[in-house]
Amino acid sequence: MKHIVYISRAVHPLSDRELERLLQQCRRDNVLHGITGILFYSHGNIAQLFEGEPAIADTLFNRIAVDGRHSHVQKLIDKPITERSFADWSMAFHPIEPQGFAALQGFLLPHHVPPAPESLSIADALLVDLVRLAVFGADPSKPAH
Amino acid sequence: MPTLPFPQLLRQLPAGVATLEGPELRFGFVNEAMYSLVGADAAGQRIADHPGGLPQALLGVLAQVYATGQPYVAKACLCTPAPDAADCRYYDLALEPYRDEQERVAGLLLLAIDVSEQEATRQQAHELSLVTRRLDARLRVLTETAPLITYTLDAQGRCRYASPQWYRFTGQPPAADLTAIWPLLIHPDDRLRVLYEAAAARRSGTGWNYEYRLRRYDGQYRWMLSRALPEVHLPDPPVYWHGALTEVHDQRELADALRRGEAEVRFLADSIPELIWTASAEGFIDYYNHYTTDYSGLNKEDLGPTGWVGLLHPSEQAEGARRWIACVASGEPYEGEYRMRRHDGIYRWHIIRARQLADGPVLRWFGTCSDVHDQYLLRQVLQTQYDELARAHHDLDTFVYAASHDLRQPALNLRGLFDELRRTATFADPDQAQLLAMVDGALTQFDTTLHDLAVTVQTQRAQQDPAEVLDVGLILEEVVLGLQPQVLARQARLDIDVAAAPGLVYGRANLRSVVHNLVSNALKFSHPDRPPHIVLRSYLTPDGEPALEVRDNGLGMTLTDARNPVFQLFVRQHTHIEGTGVGLYLVQRIVRSHGGHVEVASTLGEGTTFTIFWTRPA
Ligand SMILES: Cc1cc2nc3c(=O)[nH]c(=O)nc-3n(C[C@H](O)[C@H](O)[C@H](O)COP(=O)(O)O)c2cc1C
Repeated sequence: MKHIVYISRAVHPLSDRELERLLQQCRRDNVLHGITGILFYSHGNIAQLFEGEPAIADTLFNRIAVDGRHSHVQKLIDKPITERSFADWSMAFHPIEPQGFAALQGFLLPHHVPPAPESLSIADALLVDLVRLAVFGADPSKPAH
Repeated sequence: MPTLPFPQLLRQLPAGVATLEGPELRFGFVNEAMYSLVGADAAGQRIADHPGGLPQALLGVLAQVYATGQPYVAKACLCTPAPDAADCRYYDLALEPYRDEQERVAGLLLLAIDVSEQEATRQQAHELSLVTRRLDARLRVLTETAPLITYTLDAQGRCRYASPQWYRFTGQPPAADLTAIWPLLIHPDDRLRVLYEAAAARRSGTGWNYEYRLRRYDGQYRWMLSRALPEVHLPDPPVYWHGALTEVHDQRELADALRRGEAEVRFLADSIPELIWTASAEGFIDYYNHYTTDYSGLNKEDLGPTGWVGLLHPSEQAEGARRWIACVASGEPYEGEYRMRRHDGIYRWHIIRARQLADGPVLRWFGTCSDVHDQYLLRQVLQTQYDELARAHHDLDTFVYAASHDLRQPALNLRGLFDELRRTATFADPDQAQLLAMVDGALTQFDTTLHDLAVTVQTQRAQQDPAEVLDVGLILEEVVLGLQPQVLARQARLDIDVAAAPGLVYGRANLRSVVHNLVSNALKFSHPDRPPHIVLRSYLTPDGEPALEVRDNGLGMTLTDARNPVFQLFVRQHTHIEGTGVGLYLVQRIVRSHGGHVEVASTLGEGTTFTIFWTRPA
C-alpha cells in the first residue's frame, strides 16, 4: 500500500459539469481499482491524495500526470503506508450552482472536509493541511481567495 | 476500309461546330454542342437574324472573314447562350473559311469550345495572386518592423533571406554574403554547437530552438534565441527553414545571475553547521542543507516537504505543525523553541525561525533551526541557582529582621538597666561621667542600627508596595511633621514646592521612606555655622518625567561620580556624626528597583542637592 500527494493547475477553470463528470468517472474507476483518497479543487488549483496498491497507484499517477485538463503536476509525496486513511474517494470544491451537488455521492463542500485522519503520520497530516490551505485559502467556506 | 460516320462524330463532338453557308451566312450544319449557343432551331437561318448567344465582336468580323478568307480566333469570349440564362459562359471561338472547287470562299466553319472552367480557374488564380501580393506586402511589413530578425535557410544551409533587422543588428552591409558571414558573427564558444545543431536539424527535417551569442554592430556579443521550423510539403523533404532570432540577453543574464545566486546561497547554506531550509509560499519545504541531513540522519526524500515536523519531540509536534500552518496562512514569521531529534535519538533544544521573503512575485520561506541546547541547559542551571539564591536571600532577610527585632528587646532592657544604674548610683570620678556618656551614646547607636536594619529588610519586602496616584505635597508635609523634633532642635527652615508636579504614581511607603531618609540626612549633616535650609521641589524634567529635588546648605560631601553615586550599606561620609549609613543606601535601592535613579551634586562646606528621577534609569 502506498499513497501519493500532488498539486497541479487546471488548464482552464473547470465548470460544474466538468467537475461532476470528473467526480463520477473517478468514483467509478477508483472503486474498481481499490483507490481511495480525496481531491481538492478551487479556482483552478488542484490537490489530491490517493492511496492504493503500489503498482495501481503508480499507473494512476502516470495517467493523471498526462491528463490534458491540468498541467504543472507536482508530486509532493509518494511513499509506503501500512493502512488506508480514507474509506472511499471524494472530491471537495465550490460548485457555482450548489443545488443538486449535495446529494452527489463523494461530493464535499470544502469547509465540510473532515480534519486530516489520525492514521496519517504527523508529517503527512501537515502536508494535507498545507495543500488544503494552498487550494482553498485560510477560510475554506469562502469560494474566493 | 469502312467510311467513318463523320456527320455522326461531328454531331457528338463536345465542341460546338456549325457551318455558315454562302454570302448570307446561313446556318447549315449545327451540332448538339452548338445548340447551347445558338439554339436547336438555327439551321437554315441567317446568322444575322439568329445570332443566339454569340458575342457582338464575332458577329462584327463575319463579313470581313468571308471577304478576305482570313481565319479568325477569339479566346475566352463571354457569351450569353440564352437571354434568360443566369450564367454567362466563356468560349474560345474560331471562324475558318472553306472554299468551293474554284477556291472561292463558300462559307465559314464556326467552332466554339467551352472554356468556362479554365476561365474561372484563371480568374481565381488572378485574384489569388492579388491576395498573395497583398499578403506578401503585409508579411514584409511585419517581418521588417517586428523587433526580431527573421530568416530563411535552405536545405544546404545557405541563408536565402534575412530581414533588415539582421543588417541593423550586425551592422553588415546589404551586400554581405549572409551564408559566409553569419557563422563568423557567432561567438567562438557557441559557433560549433550552433552549426552542428542546425545541420542536424536540417538533416532530420525538424526545427530548432537554441541560444547563442551574436556579435552586434558595436562588437558586443549578445545572447539570441534562434527558433526555426521547416516548411513542409509532404511527401517531399523540407526545402526551406524559416526562423526568428530574438535578443534574450537581459533575461539570460538575469537567469544566470539568479542561478549563480541560488548556487552560492546553497553553497553557503551547506557549509553552515545549522539546520537551514527553504519552503515554497505554500509551506512545502523544497530544500534542506547538508547539515540537516547530517543532524537528522535522514535524507531529503525521507524528510520530504513536511518531514521536519516528525523530528520534533512527540509532545511538541502538533503545536509545531499548527503554528506553521498559521504562519503560512498569515505570512507572519515563524518562531518557536522545540526539541529536535538527532540521528542518535537524542533530542536537543532548537530555536526554529522562518521568515517569508518576497523575491519579485515569488514568495519563499527561509528557515533556520539553531541549536540552543547548551544555552537552554545553562539557563536552566542559572534558573535553579537563581531560585536558590533568592530563597537564601529571603532567608537571610528574615534572619536579619528577626535578629534585629529580637535584639531590640535586650537593647531596650540594657538601656533601662543603664538608666536605672545612672539614676541610683553616684559616680564621683569625672572620667566615669565621660564613660557614662559614651555608654549612653553607644547604646543609642546600637538601637538605631537595629532599627535601621529592620527598616531595610522591610523596605526590600515592600518592593511590591502597590503604586497609586499620590499627592506629593501631602506626603512631604506628613514626613516633615514626623521629623518635627529635629526640625525644631536645629531651627531648620523647610520650603516645599510641588506646584510643577503635584502628583506621582508610586508606592506610598516607598515615597515616604525616600523623603524621610533624605530630609533626616539633610538635618543630620547640617552646617554648624548656620541653621539648615532645606528645599523640596517636585517637578517634571524636559522629557516630562517626574523628579524630586532635595537641596540643603549643609556640610556637603566628596563624590566619585555625581551622576551615578554609589551608596553602600554602613559606609558613612561623616564619621564624626552619628548614623548608621543605611539611609542613602536604602534610598538608592528603592528608587532603582522601581526603574529610577538618584543623582547628587555637592560642594564641601556649602551643601548637597539630591535629585530623584522616579522613572528614568541612570
Ligand atoms: C485532477 C484530476 C484528477 C484525476 N483523478 C483521477 C482518479 O483519482 N482516478 C482516476 O481513475 N482518474 C482520475 N483522473 C482521470 C485520469 O487522468 C484519466 O482521465 C482517466 O483515468 C481516464 O483515463 P483513460 O482515458 O486513459 O482511460 C483525474 C484527472 C484529473 C484531471
